[in-house]
Parts: sequence; C-alpha cells; structure tokens
Amino acid sequence: MLAAALRKRAWRVLAGVVFFAAAASLPFVTTPFYVRVGQLVLFSSALGLAWTLLGGFAGYWSFGHAAFIGLGAFAAGIFEVELMKGQPWLGFALGLLVGAGLSALAAAVVAWPILRLRGIYFAVAMLGISQVLAELNNNIDMFKGSMGLVLPRLSAFGLRPEALYFYLLLIATILITILAFAIQHSRIGAGLMAIREDEDTARMLGVPTERYKVTMFIASAALTGALGVIYAHSLGYITTSSVYRTEFSLNMIVYNLLGGIGTLIGPFLGSAIMVILTQVVLGRLLSIHMFVTGALLVLLVLVAPKGITGLVRALRQRWSAR
Amino acid sequence: MLALQTIADGLVLGGLYALSAVGFSLIFGVMGVVNLSHGALVMIGAYLAWFFWHALGLDPLVTIPVVMLCLGAFGYVYQRGLIQLAVDRSSHVASMLVTFGVALMLRNTLVLVFSPDLRSITPSYSGHPLLLGGIVIDPVRLAALGASLVLLGTLAVILSRSRMGRVIRATAQQELAARLCGVNAHHVYGLTFAVAAAFAGAAGAILGIVLPFSPPDEGLWTLNAFVVVTLGGVGSPQGALLGGLLLGVMATGTSQLIGPAFPNAMMFAVLVAMLLIRPSGLLGNAFAGSR
Repeated sequence: MLAAALRKRAWRVLAGVVFFAAAASLPFVTTPFYVRVGQLVLFSSALGLAWTLLGGFAGYWSFGHAAFIGLGAFAAGIFEVELMKGQPWLGFALGLLVGAGLSALAAAVVAWPILRLRGIYFAVAMLGISQVLAELNNNIDMFKGSMGLVLPRLSAFGLRPEALYFYLLLIATILITILAFAIQHSRIGAGLMAIREDEDTARMLGVPTERYKVTMFIASAALTGALGVIYAHSLGYITTSSVYRTEFSLNMIVYNLLGGIGTLIGPFLGSAIMVILTQVVLGRLLSIHMFVTGALLVLLVLVAPKGITGLVRALRQRWSAR
Repeated sequence: MLALQTIADGLVLGGLYALSAVGFSLIFGVMGVVNLSHGALVMIGAYLAWFFWHALGLDPLVTIPVVMLCLGAFGYVYQRGLIQLAVDRSSHVASMLVTFGVALMLRNTLVLVFSPDLRSITPSYSGHPLLLGGIVIDPVRLAALGASLVLLGTLAVILSRSRMGRVIRATAQQELAARLCGVNAHHVYGLTFAVAAAFAGAAGAILGIVLPFSPPDEGLWTLNAFVVVTLGGVGSPQGALLGGLLLGVMATGTSQLIGPAFPNAMMFAVLVAMLLIRPSGLLGNAFAGSR
C-alpha cells in the first residue's frame, strides 16, 4: 500500500525532498531573524501535522492540543533540571522521551471517555482539559509553572542557537511528515478517513473505530509533546503562559484550515502564510496585529472554506472542464 | 456564617454568570453555532455603559435598554451578514473560527478606542455595605443580582409566551417544518442573535458595576458562558440560571475551601466531567445543539 502510494506520488515526494534540502541551507544564506522565522514556520507546520493526524484524518477537531505542548515542555524540563544536571544532550534525548511519553500517557488516560464525544463536544472537552492542566501547572508550586523553569542550554558544532533549533525542528518536521504520510496511506489511514466521512457506517462495516481513534489520539499527543520539548529548549525559559497557550491550539486548526484540511501539504502552506504574514509583514503594526489576524480568519472561512489546496483543486477542475 | 457569606457572594457572581451566558446558550441551542465572540459582546456592553456613565453621568442600570438596543442591532447584522454566510458556505465548526476572528477584531478595536487599561463603574450607591442578618452585602451587588434575575425572567417569558419566542423555539426544534409553516428561518436566526447579543450587552453593563474590566477579559467571559451552558443545559434561560448560580457558588466555595488560585481549574474540571457524564446539561433541554 505504502510503496504503491509512493510510486504514484513520486513527483510530490521528490518536491518534498527538494523543499527540505532547500530549507536545510537557509541558515547559511539569510540573517538570524529569518532563521527564526523559518524555525517558527517549521514548528508550526510540525504542530499542524501532529494535529491533523486526528483532526484532519479522522475529523476530530481538538481545541486543546496546547495541553500536550505544555505537558511535554514541563515534564522534560523538570526531568532534565532535577535528574540530568551537567549532561545537556543526554538529558535532552531522554527529555524528548519523557515529554512525548507523558503526553501519550495523559492522552491514553482521557482517550476512552473523551473520544466518545463528537464534533463540538469533543472540541470543547479538549479545551477544558487544556485549561485544567494549565491552571494546575500554574498553581501547584511543584510544577514551577508560575515561577518558571530555566532549561539546560544545548550547543553543538559551533552552531548559533537559532540555527541549532532550526535544524532540530527540521529533523522533527521531516520525521513527522514521513510518519504522517505512512499513516495516511496505510490501513489505519483509510479507516480514519472512513471515520471522518461517517463514523457509524464505518463501524458497522467492521472498521475498529474506537481502536483507531485512540491510537491516533495518543500518537498525535506524543508528537505534540515532543515538539513541546524542542520548543521549550528553544525558548530557554518556560512558564505556564509561554507553553500552555490557547493560541497554539487555535493556530494548529487555522494552519490546517488555511492550507487545506486532511492534506499533508496544508499545514506547511498554512503556517508559512500565517507566520510570514504575522511576523514579517505585520511585525511593525503591533497595534492592529490582532485585528488583521481576525479579519484574515473571517475572510479565510468565507473565501476558501476548503483551504488553499481546495481552492486550487476547484480552480483546476473549472479549468479542465472548459 | 462563613458558609452563608460564601453562598451569598457566590449567588451574586452567579447571577452575572447566568445573564452573560444566556445569549450564548440561546445561539448554541437554536442554530448550533458556538459563538466565541460572545465575551467580546459582553465587553462592548460594559464599555458602552462605562461611556454613558463617564461622559453623561447616567447610571448603568438606567442605560441597560439603550445598550441592549445597540447590541441587538449589531447582533442582527452580524448574524445575517457574516455568520449565516459562514454556515452556508462551510460548516458549523468553521463558523466557530469566524466568531473567533471577530472576537479578535472586536478586542483589538476596544483596545484602540478605550485603551487596554482597567475600567470600573462606581455608581453613587456603591461602597456602603449593608448588613443583612450577619451577611455583608454591597448594595451594588444586590442591585446587580436583582437586575440579572429580572432580565432572565423577562427572557424566559418572552421565549415561552410571546409570538417571537414561539417562532424561535419552533425554528430551533425543526427548521424545515418551521419554514413550511411560513417562518422566515434566516430572519428568526438574526432575531435570535439580536436577542442574545442584547442580553450579552446587558450582562456587560451590570458586570461594569460589580467588577473592574479590560478588553482581554472577553476570553474569560466566553469560557464562563461555555461552562455555564454545559452545566445548566443548552437553550433555555432556566438552564443558564441554574448553571450560572451553581458556577458562582462553586467559584467562591473553591477559593474559600481549596485556595484562591483554584476556581478556574475547578470550573474546567466540572466542565469536562459534565461533558462526559451528561453532555446535555442538568436541565437537558437541548434543541439543535446536541443532536
């Protein structure tokens, strides 16, 4: 199934390889500011991809994935600070496991009850869970959410910090892309899409809907948690409000919606446009920043309800029909 | 005595929660739209009331009808011009994003117009606490609770007794059948939104005399509305009242018993638990919302 899918999409796969290779040269050709922008684009794309495993493939829109960014960041942070003094890289590697593992565990605990909810109810329950976790993290001194946590500094090959995190995020993004592609073109991917189209029918036809949903929820949470760990290191100092951010949850949806939901290229397109627009173009207009972002969201839903890929597809169909 | 005081404070807060959530509940119950800009409408109401008080010296409780009219008109245009379009072109979940976008725009506008500073409205009768049987109550808060209850009662009567209320309920139950009976469904949705926005505005005006406020609070009021509605049940003023009062008592009780930092965590824990145990709320009178 996977091999056939790869062969059929050879050009797209090649384009992806070229894109990542080109991205890898970015730190050598531009200023640190644009490397940071690139870092943010990669982080956002990877988050969008992790979200889409459940949200895009199975149609379960989570409005609270920031919970896993926060869980991953704080689990790894506390682990590294308390147990891994003086070994930044080993600590980081194990921290990734701890962060992803705890996110996966949390997802596994809430998965069974919460995945019985559908549509808006699932979205709202996830929002609620992320708020509860954020409040607990902020108010229980043990978790250091309100005081903040300073993470060990990483350095390698004499790279500047922004270039280092750019490459770490690049590697993470590539791995997540490959994983998402493999899932999309596997049996479970087909099952997830069946769930998205009509869950009851899928179940009736023998798709193990419960198992697929839970698996994807956990996978999505673990990947988001690992990204949270990298993000926390790139910040260097984390507090509850810097990682448990509701904007993250909403942005993951916006990137997918803007690019085209359920596709793999969607999160890349969406996050590139949003990040460049908000960081580069609107960077100087801080006072109306929020207004423009809001207006853009409204326009997006009205003009391109299926995202850029949907728009392109519609235009292409109209073109070929002539 | 402490317990009684906690409950009294909780009820005052709860009345406000209920009033601020009733519009949210109505919109969700009737058209299945989650209005993430609801808190922003509440804030606009608060700022309008503040403006009348600050510039003209009018008491917020007197200007409530004006505030309601302004927001009602805004709500009608907002629904017909934007939300209905989004629902038609995309989906209900996507319309949620539209309302989120509008919330951002409104918040930004409020910051630009009124500055991000904290504001509060202090009528002449504030700051003279009354002692009622050992419980201390600020007359402002008493007035706020009274006004909230009167407004909620009015809405309940409008919905159950008036022609407009019957039409709204009919459309919520079955849009197609209502249309076959000659109801202009889009107009009814606009009206529902207008009523909801008007009550959000009223809640804002009352909020202004009880608590200080600033534009970013809108997110908090939207979330509060969410919790109240899932707690009480969708689509009815009674549900909002029950949910609001419970939430108010729960918030003051939690900060009294567990610690002042925990009311929010408690609120959301209850929200998640309610969604799991009984998604339709305590007074489960879900119209279109949970089907």
